[in-house]
Amino acid sequence: MGDAAQIQFDTIPSFLGVPVGDLEDLVPGQVAIAGYFCDNLDRPAAGQRYLARQLRYASRPGKVPANVIDLGDVNVFPLEPDKHFSAIISQCEAVLESGARMVLVGGDSSGLQALGTAAQKVAGADVPVVPVTGGIAGNLPKTQPVILSVDLNELAGIWMSHPSRLTGLSPAQMIAQIDATSGNVIAAAIFGLAPALDNRGRTETRAALAILQAVAERLAKGER
Amino acid sequence: MNNAQRRLITAGYAGLPFGEFSKCEAGDVGVLGVPSEVDGGPRSGTSLAPDALRRMSGQLETILPANGRDLGNLDLSGDWSGVLMQLVTQMVDSGVKPVVLGGASDVASAVLRALPDLLVVAAMPRARGDLIERAENTVWVGLNGDQPAEEWDQISQRAMEWRTARQLDEGHADFSGMPERAVLWIDISVIDLGHAAGAVGLNPGGMKPETLVSVIGAMSCNWQAIAITGLAPARDTRGISELAAIETLNAALRHG
Repeated sequence: MGDAAQIQFDTIPSFLGVPVGDLEDLVPGQVAIAGYFCDNLDRPAAGQRYLARQLRYASRPGKVPANVIDLGDVNVFPLEPDKHFSAIISQCEAVLESGARMVLVGGDSSGLQALGTAAQKVAGADVPVVPVTGGIAGNLPKTQPVILSVDLNELAGIWMSHPSRLTGLSPAQMIAQIDATSGNVIAAAIFGLAPALDNRGRTETRAALAILQAVAERLAKGER
Repeated sequence: MNNAQRRLITAGYAGLPFGEFSKCEAGDVGVLGVPSEVDGGPRSGTSLAPDALRRMSGQLETILPANGRDLGNLDLSGDWSGVLMQLVTQMVDSGVKPVVLGGASDVASAVLRALPDLLVVAAMPRARGDLIERAENTVWVGLNGDQPAEEWDQISQRAMEWRTARQLDEGHADFSGMPERAVLWIDISVIDLGHAAGAVGLNPGGMKPETLVSVIGAMSCNWQAIAITGLAPARDTRGISELAAIETLNAALRHG
């Protein structure tokens, strides 16, 4: 992207205030964050598709690794599931083939499914999905490609505007789990939150933003 | 129309079918709403609680660990507390577990009058005189420090078990003298105001909602009846208070 175009894009709200970029800007090791506006296919709950937009609006420039960019949104076809999955898989595949790492933000867990298929195609083998709730996170070899699954529905009710459960993780616990994830995290999906779009959603939006930052930082570190 | 919306229209509390008490079988639960309102005071709204709990349990797609019927809401015209006592007695005699969604505290008082010979487990911030004076002892869950001295004396003289909210939040939840059968009364004001604001009582020294769920869930009593009172859902726009009531009720039915 040229300087003129970059200056024009600088005024657009982006995830964590990072530069906006395109597929051709990606280089190996870069972290590309993309919005996923689809919430009617897997564990559907209306409103989850707005998470990406909400996080962009709430973002302020901060201490984010220099190699993170906002790739825009993946094209979705929520009323045509077959076409939708094939399109998401090919878009994710294109990002991962560039050697960049990918974070899919928002929507339901169908984005994670597509990301998993794309990663499998690129890696030529199954890529395990590591949930942020822990378990196998600490036991993977450094070079093992993995996908991090960050289900924001696992947050405790006290952090949510419309809680569905009392118990769960705090944002700090989730961030610690993300940071402790071993292996070569090549992609991540952050999903499962339908944020309240007014002031009531402030806490959950800030929590989700802090979690997104932790995911971007973990991916930027590469193998661990 | 999605599943949750369809469920809201066709089903009662936690997906139970609406129906008459006569449709219940022994071992079932009979969920009854009693939307009484508190008598004045700065905080009200308990009359909205039964329907709010039905709505919330529908949205969450809560599944009760028991079969049964939702008996709808009791008509509050006339001698409703007498009707409630009669209904509770009939249900208990038939082996059906009444789950009574208040309403104000007068709802639970009527339930307890119908079952005078049973011990009560009362989750509430402050001990009540009418409970202290019952023939059977009461186990107090989540008291705060705001008790008159004479009530403490009575509780001590009768060797009733009690735990403060702070003790329970710190993990001291061991109750030694639990009977096999008891009545459970949960006044939502037992929860700390900072965690859940949807209660008629202001309780700044109350329990965490998750502590209430785990303490009640750990009690192995066979609950003969359960009453939930003091919930004012409109005061808690996030719904944590309703969620606490629903999860506590589920925990009680699962383990009791």
